[in-house]
Parts: sequence; structure tokens; C-alpha cells
Amino acid sequence: MLSSDQDDLRLLRESARTLFERAGGSGRARKLRDAGGTWDPEMVRELAAAGVLGVTVPEVNGGLGMGLAAAGVIAEEVGRVLAPEPVVMTVGLSLGLLRRLCPDHPRVAQLISGDTVLAVAWQERGAGGAPGDAACRYADGKLTGSKAWVVGAPGSQGFLVVAEGADGPVLALTEATANGCSVDQRVQADGSAMGELSFSATPAEELARGNAVTEALSDAISDTTALAAAELVGLSDRAFEITLDYIKTREQFDKPIGSFQVLQHRAVDLNVMREVAQAGVREVLARMDCETDPGVRKRLASRAKARAVTAAKKITRDAVQLHGAVGYTDEFDIGLYLNRALVLSAWLGDDAYHRRMWFKAREQEGAA
Amino acid sequence: MADWNTMSDAEFRKEVRRFFETEYPEELRHLPHRPKFAEVEHWHRKLHARGWVAPAWPAEYGGMGLNAAKLLIFYEEQQRWGVNRGRDMGVQMVGPLIIKFGTRQQKDYWLPRILSCEDIWCQGYSEPGAGSDLASLRTRADIDGDDFVINGQKTWTTMAHDATHIFMLVRTDPGAPKKQQGISFVLAPMDQPGVEVRPIRTLAGETEFCEVFFDNARTPCENLVGELNKGWTMAKALLSFERIFIGSPSLAQNALGQLESFARCRGAFDDPVFCDRFAQAALDVEDHAALYARFADQLKRGETLGADVSMLKIWVTECFQRITELRIEAAGPDGATISPLQVGNVSVDILASFYKARPTTIYGGSNEIQRNILSKAVLGLPG
Ligand SMILES: Cc1cc2nc3c(=O)[nH]c(=O)nc-3n(C[C@H](O)[C@H](O)[C@H](O)COP(=O)(O)OP(=O)(O)OC[C@H]3O[C@@H](n4cnc5c(N)ncnc54)[C@H](O)[C@@H]3O)c2cc1C
Repeated sequence: MLSSDQDDLRLLRESARTLFERAGGSGRARKLRDAGGTWDPEMVRELAAAGVLGVTVPEVNGGLGMGLAAAGVIAEEVGRVLAPEPVVMTVGLSLGLLRRLCPDHPRVAQLISGDTVLAVAWQERGAGGAPGDAACRYADGKLTGSKAWVVGAPGSQGFLVVAEGADGPVLALTEATANGCSVDQRVQADGSAMGELSFSATPAEELARGNAVTEALSDAISDTTALAAAELVGLSDRAFEITLDYIKTREQFDKPIGSFQVLQHRAVDLNVMREVAQAGVREVLARMDCETDPGVRKRLASRAKARAVTAAKKITRDAVQLHGAVGYTDEFDIGLYLNRALVLSAWLGDDAYHRRMWFKAREQEGAA
Repeated sequence: MADWNTMSDAEFRKEVRRFFETEYPEELRHLPHRPKFAEVEHWHRKLHARGWVAPAWPAEYGGMGLNAAKLLIFYEEQQRWGVNRGRDMGVQMVGPLIIKFGTRQQKDYWLPRILSCEDIWCQGYSEPGAGSDLASLRTRADIDGDDFVINGQKTWTTMAHDATHIFMLVRTDPGAPKKQQGISFVLAPMDQPGVEVRPIRTLAGETEFCEVFFDNARTPCENLVGELNKGWTMAKALLSFERIFIGSPSLAQNALGQLESFARCRGAFDDPVFCDRFAQAALDVEDHAALYARFADQLKRGETLGADVSMLKIWVTECFQRITELRIEAAGPDGATISPLQVGNVSVDILASFYKARPTTIYGGSNEIQRNILSKAVLGLPG
């Protein structure tokens, strides 16, 4: 069922790249940001038509039945052009949850076809504003409480909410326009927005309950973490290419600045870093496709995100430095890459966080 | 006027602290952005009335005439209380140059106007083709009767959209055998038909610097400072001053304070790994302050600083960047949020200091250029 056949992946990469380039490359991301910061619903449908959103959903449920390795290829292409469409979020989180918990629910088909977008609300703020324990409740078809850091909330038609039910966790679906549901937008460095949601007796439909919800959530987060890493790999790749072009052409002291040895070595170091990140993340995705143990999958995902964040931060920040003052302008694309890297790094844990998680997971496996 | 230098350091510090704490407007403390003059004007009036606009200038020109030790205390207290420097390019950059190289007439005319902020200055050095290689600048000033006629373009000119005057390096002898020759230092008014200012948006979404276009703009020949075609040496004297200024611990110390209070609210110190990283940053700042004090002592003894001052800028700017990155880390899922974040009872802009830290390794002579200087002039490496 899972395909990580190299030829398939190459074809997939080529068609995804063509699709994004035809749509306008990174210039499209800038336009959408300036127009208010959400994605283009037409583009979501176009991606859906190419099979992108259902890439990991089994064929019987209307997807392509490919694995994370294939989804990672797409995520890399999303990263290269900074596409704001909720690809990783839909493939990893929304469909990641639904295909595990209720693959026959009508929303699965709607998500795959791009007719609807659902954001996933699973975290809450605790003391001091840091992530804390879940307190949002689900009872008698109603949600009450709040959720934080909901990526894609503005622009989504509804929310998949993980809430506390009478006996354990519940996955509930609510519409963005439902009674008592409000979204406080928090603008991010790349112009996108996360939502802080609050519900007061908001009508919702129960999709699943019990331990299955916890397990599906944890596994879907592992998938999404690894896919976000792949998006960062694509982003780093393109940021590096832009910078390499720049130092070959920008002249100071009557020669291209790329002729100064110190910049040559910097460029080489960044290139090594991006190759290591790409190799590591791609290997992780392929291994996750053959791995069923959730603890191991979690450790693999942490490995990918830790590496990708470290590389993307270093590459985009050095890229700005190597551009000099133009790198600090909004006009040059390189700043968009820096800002997007900030957003993808903070989402689902940065490198320091995932190094800790990796170590913890490894210790637990050792003990088992 | 008081002779501050006869006071003990402790007394002086107390006096400065008292003034800032009682007089500085609360709403301007730790401003996250570069203010326009109008925003800080009421504070400037107070400073001006007290004669404290130019702590480093000699008293005869309306400054406080502080010696190096007192000056350091002044700046320390300023940053401790989060006092904005205001629009200080006149005081920090063009003023000292006029004091050193200007004629009696130039001093009498320009210096009081700098102190009162009747004139607000911006720095016109960089051009699209002349950044690190500043000496290759091409903006021309040709003598026409009693005027210079200026043609060309400056760029990255900080706050040019809120300035009345520009001090600039211009080419006055295009035929000179070396590019460092034939450059002059002139002052020009911005409010004239031949000057056009276009603000540039930064990646942080702010307008902090501008392009400035000159199309037959004019400035009287008497606005030449120093000798014709000798501007390069003068500007370099100013750059070394800029380096000790950028090399001062204040930005990093400030950021460290912000990091600490944020991390405490967020419970980040429960994590030993974070504690280690914080300690690393804090020690980087403390030891930098020790190194800075060594250079400050040199100034106190009346010595001029050598090329080795560059190391201050390298260390502190890179340290500043790491501290702001650590705060992003402490913010976890809020780490990329631009909207103000409520932490305890204060509202925090997580990214403001991160964005402020990025260009510190680019401007004032990029850190790569500083390393080139150190390797040649200090380590004596060939090449
Ligand atoms: C926020 C900000 C405010 C500024 N304000 C002002 C202002 O008010 N007035 C003004 O005149 N200017 C201002 N500047 C411009 C600043 O002085 C220049 O950005 C700086 O001199 C670098 O020039 P550049 O940007 O053209 O970069 P470039 O010189 O093109 O450098 C690009 C990259 O190449 C590297 N490089 C260049 N030459 C060498 C070399 N020989 N060896 C190794 N590496 C090298 C640089 O370090 C950098 O990483 C400002 C810049 C910024 C970012």
C-alpha cells in the first residue's frame, strides 16, 4: 500500500513543483500575505484535484494511499514556494485524525476534495501562558472552554476539537460559525494567523471518544511534526539557492562577494547543513512509513524536526546576513523565508524541544 | 553649569538615575521601535532644558562635558531605565565631527540647532553599489557658483523620512587616482525639490530606513565640513566612534533582562537545559562588559582606540542575537507571534528584539568586515 518507490516520488516532486511554479511561486505567497494573510481556496481545490490532500488516505476512502514519504515530497515543495495553503495541516492533522478514527465520515471526502478545511484544536494555555492541561469540556453535544495555537483557524470552515468528555477524551467537530464559538486571531511573523478559540455551549458533533482519540492524536502529531520538518527542508533549500545566486552576482570591492573566501566557506557550511537535513528528514519519513510502534514514530519525528529547525534557522538567518541590508528589506524574498521559518519552527516544537523529546523517547525504548 | 566630573561616580549615578526615574515618560520606556521625533519631543524638551542632550560634547558647545567614566554611567543608567535615545544622529554623529573639523561659523550655527532638535539629521553614506565597499560611492557634488549641486542616490538611510538634514559623503573629484580620495563631507537640507525620499519596508514590517534620491539638489559650499576631497579620513574617524558605541553592552543587557523576566513567567527555568543556555548568555554579557570596561579605561586615560575595538561589536551583536533567539525558544508555540502577548500583567512583543538584533551584524561595518580588520590590523595576518 505504501509507496516510497524512488521513481514515483520523483514524478510526484516534478508535478508538485510544476503546479506551484505555474501558480506563481513565492510571488503568490507575498501577494496573499499582503491581501490579508490567508490562503487561496481556489488553490486548495487545485491541489486537491492533483490528489495532494488525500495523499496518505487509503484508496478505499478516496485517497491516493501513499505514505508519509510521498507527503513529505509535497511538503518540501510547499516549503520551497512558501505556499500558505494548509497542506501539512490537512494531510497530517485533520486527515491524520479522521482517517484513523472515522475514515467513512463524510468530512473525509470533503477534506480530500478541498471543499472544506478543518483546523485541529488540541492545545490549551496553562499557567503563565505556556501549554497546560486540557480543561475544555464536551458534554451533551456541546463544547465549553478554550483552545490555543490553532493553526489555520482563520480560513477554516470548522474545527476538530479534542475535549474532555464524561469518561475520557472526545474528538468533536464544530462549525466556525456555530453559536458561542469565537476566534481571537494572533498574527504570525509570516502574516498568517493562529486562532485562540473559545466555546460556550457551542453545538458540536462527537466523532470519536476514549483512548483511541489520544492515540490517534499522538500519532497524527508525529506525522505532522515530520511533515513540518519536510516543509522546512524545502524552505531551506530555496533560501540557500537564492543566497547562492546573490553572492555570485553582488559586487563589492570590484568583485562578486562570493569570491571572498570567508563567504565561500559559509556557503559551503550552509550547503552541508541543508544536505544533512534533507537526507535525515527523508530517511525519517520513509522509516515512519514502515514503523507501527507509536513511541518509535514519535522519536523519529522528533529527530526530523530537531534537525530541520536547526538547519532552517541557521540557513535563513545567514542568508539575510549574506545579503547585507537588502536582506533586511521586505522587498527581497529572503526575508519571507526567514519569517516563514520562524513560524514553522515554533509550530509543534522547535529544535531544542524535540532534542529533549528524542532523548526521552529513546530512554523509554531502552527501558521497555 | 555644573561640573559633573568633580562629583563622585556614585553621586553622579544617583543624580542621573533620579532624573530618569522621575522625569522620563513612562509610556516611552523600552520602546520597541525607532520613534519619530514627534513621539519623543516632550522628553527631548525636558532633556534640553536641563542641558543633558549631549553628554559627550564639551560644555563650551552646550554638552555635559562628561569624562569617559561619567559618560559610561550616563549610558548605563539610560539603558537601565529603558530611556530612548531619541533622534540622536545629530548629537552622536554629525555634532562630534563639526566640533572636531568644523569652522567657528559652522559650530555657532549648527551645534545649537542639533541640541534643540530644530534640525534632525540622517546619515547618507551607503549607496546601492557602495555598502561594505563604501569608498566606491558615486553620488556627486559639483561646484556651481556658491553651491554644490548634488546628483545620485543614497540608500538604507535610517529615519530619512523624519529628518530635516542629511550629512553625506559625496564624490567631489571623480578624477582622483584612488577611490578613497576625492570624497568630501557635506551637509545638506532635505526640504528642497531636488531631494526625494522613499521609505523602505523592512522584513519586520516597519519603515525604518529609506532611499534618498538627489536630482540637482543644492547645498551652499559653506556646508562643506573639513577640507575638500578629504572627507574619507574624517568619516573613518567617526566610524571608529560608531564601533565603540555599537559595541557597548546595553542592547545585550537589555535583551537579557527581557529574556529573564519572560522566562520566569513562563516557567522556563524549571528546565535545566534552558538554565544552562541562559547562564551561557548571561556570562557572555558579563564578560563582554569586562572587556568593554578595558576599552573604556583606555578612553578615560585619553588614549585613542585602535582597530581592536572591532571585537566589541562582533561579540556583543552576536550575543544580542543569541539572547533574542533564546526568548523565542522560551515562548514555545508563541515564538513566531507578532500580536502582543500578555505575560503576567505586561504585554510583550516577542519578535521585536529579535528583529532589532538581526541587522546589528550588518550595519556599522558588517561583522565579516570587522573580522577582516581584526585579522589584518590586530593579528597581522598577511593578505
Ligand atoms: C537597519 C540598517 C540601518 C542602516 N542605516 C544606515 C544609515 O543610516 N546610513 C547609511 O549610510 N547606511 C546605513 N545602513 C547601511 C549599512 O551601513 C550597510 O548595510 C553595510 O555597510 C553593508 O553594506 P551592504 O548592505 O551593501 O552589504 P554588502 O556590502 O553587499 O555585503 C553583503 C555581504 O557580503 C559581506 N562582505 C562584503 N564584503 C566582504 C569582504 N570583503 N569580505 C567578507 N565579506 C564581505 C558582508 O559582510 C555581507 O554579509 C544601514 C543598514 C541597515 C541594515
